[in-house]
Amino acid sequence: MSRPRDVLDALHATIVGQNEVCEALVLGLIAGGHVLLEGAPGVAKTLACRALAAAVGGAFRRVQFTPDLLPSDIVGTRVFDQKSGEFTTVLGPLFANVVLADEINRAPAKVQSALLEGMQERRATIGPRTYDLPAPFVVMATMNPYDSDGTYPLPHAQLDRFLAKVVVTYPTREEERAIVDRFGAGEPPLPANVASVEDVLRWQDDARRVYVDAALRDYAVELVRATRGAELVAHGASPRAALALVQLGRARAYLDERAFATPDDVRDVAPAVLRHRLSWDDRIALDGADPEAIVRGIVASVPAP
Amino acid sequence: MTRLAAIALVAAAPAFASCAAAGAQALRPLHVTALSMRADRMRIDVGAVFHLAIHAHVREHVAALDELVIPDVGTMQLLGDERSVTHAGGETDVVETLTLEPVKSGAYTFRPAYLDAIDARTGRPSRFSSNAVRVVVVAPVASAAERYGALARLGGEVLLALLACVAVVLAAIGALRLRRARARARADVAPAAPPPAAAAPAPARAPRDEVAEALRAYRLSPAEPALRRLRASLFTAAGTNGGSTLGDALAATTDRELRIALIAAERAAFGPPADRDEASRELAGATEAWLR
Repeated sequence: MSRPRDVLDALHATIVGQNEVCEALVLGLIAGGHVLLEGAPGVAKTLACRALAAAVGGAFRRVQFTPDLLPSDIVGTRVFDQKSGEFTTVLGPLFANVVLADEINRAPAKVQSALLEGMQERRATIGPRTYDLPAPFVVMATMNPYDSDGTYPLPHAQLDRFLAKVVVTYPTREEERAIVDRFGAGEPPLPANVASVEDVLRWQDDARRVYVDAALRDYAVELVRATRGAELVAHGASPRAALALVQLGRARAYLDERAFATPDDVRDVAPAVLRHRLSWDDRIALDGADPEAIVRGIVASVPAP
Repeated sequence: MTRLAAIALVAAAPAFASCAAAGAQALRPLHVTALSMRADRMRIDVGAVFHLAIHAHVREHVAALDELVIPDVGTMQLLGDERSVTHAGGETDVVETLTLEPVKSGAYTFRPAYLDAIDARTGRPSRFSSNAVRVVVVAPVASAAERYGALARLGGEVLLALLACVAVVLAAIGALRLRRARARARADVAPAAPPPAAAAPAPARAPRDEVAEALRAYRLSPAEPALRRLRASLFTAAGTNGGSTLGDALAATTDRELRIALIAAERAAFGPPADRDEASRELAGATEAWLR
């Protein structure tokens, strides 16, 4: 039986650095939540998702979001079979265990809605029938913060569906050197079947039983409440963020093979849970303030229990 | 303008001057991963003392963070300004703690502290800002009953003080007479006793003593308040304060026995109720081992 730590180790064996990204992907898998990765092109967002899918086994689909994509391109469609004279259903790439939605903000709102509805409801409707999506079902979406021409920014309510958002930064000089060494002669093979789909379902079940003390639940609520009315924050995080903090805190404790969560678990995942759930005051651009520093400041301002 | 405002301007002056003179080239490249500000109390009486702490964390090892500009504190009196710089794993934490005393009531918002640097992640000159902090200063209002009660208490205290003074004078006179009588009775005259040494101020309790005391209280009653006290005393012994996490405490100490006790305290505080008894025994044992 595999442990989540095995998958994390497999990711580290493929990806140079990017510890936060690798950990967020595994935590998303354990918590059964979707993860949004934002970073410049070429910083291993897509590779990390592919490596995760390869390590876990199961079905993996990648969808490159483009402005001309249609909802049926990701959900599926009904095709008329001339031989039988009947309509048959062709399931789209959404029907997979790990779905990589590459450059999610390049598709129009209608397509984003179709994907996000599947993420929330874990089912999709094609024609007259509704189909359950497979379990586990995890969406890893990527976004490029630059080249905003021709993009469709995700509305606040849709961003809230993502359990965590990770900002993928450029590697350090040493990491970049290691990337050249490791990938210079072509991409090394991805880790294969380190864990099974059944393992993942068991982890998700076990993680739900991780004990979260009342003081920690209070802490999660205080963290979320601290975002409301904070300087330069126009709209704070929703109660869903408090649930996400507890859910991801549980996953982090489980990854560390603990049966209970600690304040570190909640505090460490807080930036990933909160950063995409805040909308900013217009003054932030005028002040030249760094949203990331503000999020970390809000987290630091709430005393841990 | 208060002294702190002046200090803030003095602290900010080099940053402004360097910006004006040399532009972004004068800024240091830094990975600023945290910049926050918090007050230890959000509601303060006029004349009461509170602390405003500004915390900055950079991934680089720096001797000082002179770029950090603290906010103006308006009409508040600055009673102290302490800056501490700590290093761990090649990274730097800077904590500046202002001790303030408000002199007039009303809500006051401290503008964000900030520092200008080249953002090492993007290579661009950036201004990193903390959160703002809003405090409410209230004038202490006493009801008529409280005022009369306070007057009565004051009268009683004055009367008691007078009685105590009379008793001390009488006792001194009695002691003097007795001593003279004894001196007369003796053939030889004893040398005058040296004047009693002034009582030394009670030393601040060492963290180890506080842990020992908290452990005694915890053994007597292993309930939640005693557990909280013991855990807090262990965190203090590690060099962290309230509101820190186990990760902070472990990063602050290399004392192996203390680290074991800290981990045991975490399990006792946040572990499942079914494991509490065992965790409690483990905590007491680990703490005792550290104290030895």
